[in-house]
Amino acid sequence: MGFSFDPYSPAVDSDPFPLYKTLRDEHPCFWSEEAGMWVFSRYADIVTALNDWQTYSSASGNLMTELPNRAGSTLGTTDPPRHDRLRGLVQHAFLKRNLEALGGPMRDIAAGAVAELRGVKQFDFINDFSSKFTVRVLFAALGLPMGDEQTVRDKAVLMVQSDPVTRAKGPEHIAAYNWMRDYAAGVIAERRKHPQDDLISHFSAAEIDGDKLDEMEVLLTTTTLIMAGIESLGGFMSMFALNMADYHDARRRVAADPKLIGDAVEESLRFNTSAQRFRRRLQKDVAIHGQTMKQGDFVCLAYGSGNRDERQFQNPDAYDINRKPKGHLGFGGGVHACLGSAIARMAIIIAFEEFFKVIPEFHRVQEQLPWMPSSTFRSPLRLELAAG
Amino acid sequence: MPKITYIEPNGNESVVDVPEGWTLMQGATSNGIDGIEAECGGSCSCATCHCYVETHADKLAAASETEEAMLTNVAAERRPNSRLSCQIKAIAELDGMVVRLPAAQS
Ligand code: HEM
Ligand code: FES
Repeated sequence: MGFSFDPYSPAVDSDPFPLYKTLRDEHPCFWSEEAGMWVFSRYADIVTALNDWQTYSSASGNLMTELPNRAGSTLGTTDPPRHDRLRGLVQHAFLKRNLEALGGPMRDIAAGAVAELRGVKQFDFINDFSSKFTVRVLFAALGLPMGDEQTVRDKAVLMVQSDPVTRAKGPEHIAAYNWMRDYAAGVIAERRKHPQDDLISHFSAAEIDGDKLDEMEVLLTTTTLIMAGIESLGGFMSMFALNMADYHDARRRVAADPKLIGDAVEESLRFNTSAQRFRRRLQKDVAIHGQTMKQGDFVCLAYGSGNRDERQFQNPDAYDINRKPKGHLGFGGGVHACLGSAIARMAIIIAFEEFFKVIPEFHRVQEQLPWMPSSTFRSPLRLELAAG
Repeated sequence: MPKITYIEPNGNESVVDVPEGWTLMQGATSNGIDGIEAECGGSCSCATCHCYVETHADKLAAASETEEAMLTNVAAERRPNSRLSCQIKAIAELDGMVVRLPAAQS
């Protein structure tokens, strides 16, 4: 039987890395029958594709399994110049220097969430810490009205999943997405009536040179921001907690010297980013590694594989917080590189500074983790940790 | 591949073959050259990939509006030859180009 790579299989959800290695070494441009697309797995090929948005377009969707109507209407699913215009409108709020005011509230949220774990012997990191933290931080950052946090979080997590059997979004995933769109529409309408000094008020009224966003762009970009903000941040925080639980020396060094958290976060983004695979669509034929890909074909960019490419990173399967892995693909790269990278870095560092103060020593309880079924993202659904 | 020379703040010079179409920022970060941070990954939203263009300036397209705006945020002194290295793509005409990296990016 020939080699296969099926991003819908539970095996890829739980451990894609051995398959990635075969892809890189033997099939650097691989046609995945199951995904119905090509797969790029080497660092250099992914970087080349990210630089060439004219050829590798996002306008037909960037999630491996796309949600209805997103293509062409959000930051992640448009090409320049439309993309740059949308990004120009929201980018300002996400620049590092404009995030400083959020530092205090973030720290209070983190300290409050971890205080509930004081003296607790065993807990689910996701349910009992990271989901509370991320949803409250995102509500504060975007100016969302408090009250619906838990539902919003549950829907955000559900909408990025896909059904492993049908290899598509199931009715429950679409329903979660529709719920989120309606929720976003409600918030936008409310902010239009009563504008405040928050991102959604600014964004829904934003104008550049007299050019306003249309309703669909406001709505779907807001929906994407909520989804990306909550799900991506929470998913990655659980991967970072997992790395800290598994690599005892790294955890002890970081807990003893919180200034190292930033370096450890960068290494975790390289080692196992939660954002494993995104896709692009070819605008012209491309011949590479002995294959000819046709205009209209989709190509998966396996960031998680590029980050383990021995052609770029020495000893790539070792988790090494001294590495300082510049140029990693944990946040993607090029024009579509993550809009939230600065707020995500800041939030994770603050969250773990507070977490380590209360729980400096911890280890994993489950031997096997339940992994989220998703063709794009990778993170556990539950992460049981024991303190001490 | 165009050869690009990066001069780090300590005077270290590295000559890198940058694949055509890659940015000067990627040429540096993928080759372990210190002096470029590139926090935003090349989306022109961090200004930590600042460089001074020493040669080949006439071969470069002018900075976009976004780059101009972001250049006001560089940590080191902004000079007339300041550019963001994630906005310069390596092309054959830039073979032999020299860029100098500032003492601070953030
Ligand atoms: C550690 C957490 C996070 C990770 C690992 C992550 C990862 C990524 C990746 C890999 C991309 C590129 C997608 C592509 O290539 O098509 C991306 C794009 C994006 N991310 Fe994140 N993200 C995180 C947190 C956030 C947060 C907190 C927000 C918002 C508040 C956010 C908003 C976005 C948006 C809007 C885009 C699309 C940007 C564009 O296309 O211009 N992300 N993210
Ligand atoms: S890498 Fe961020 S502006 Fe160039």
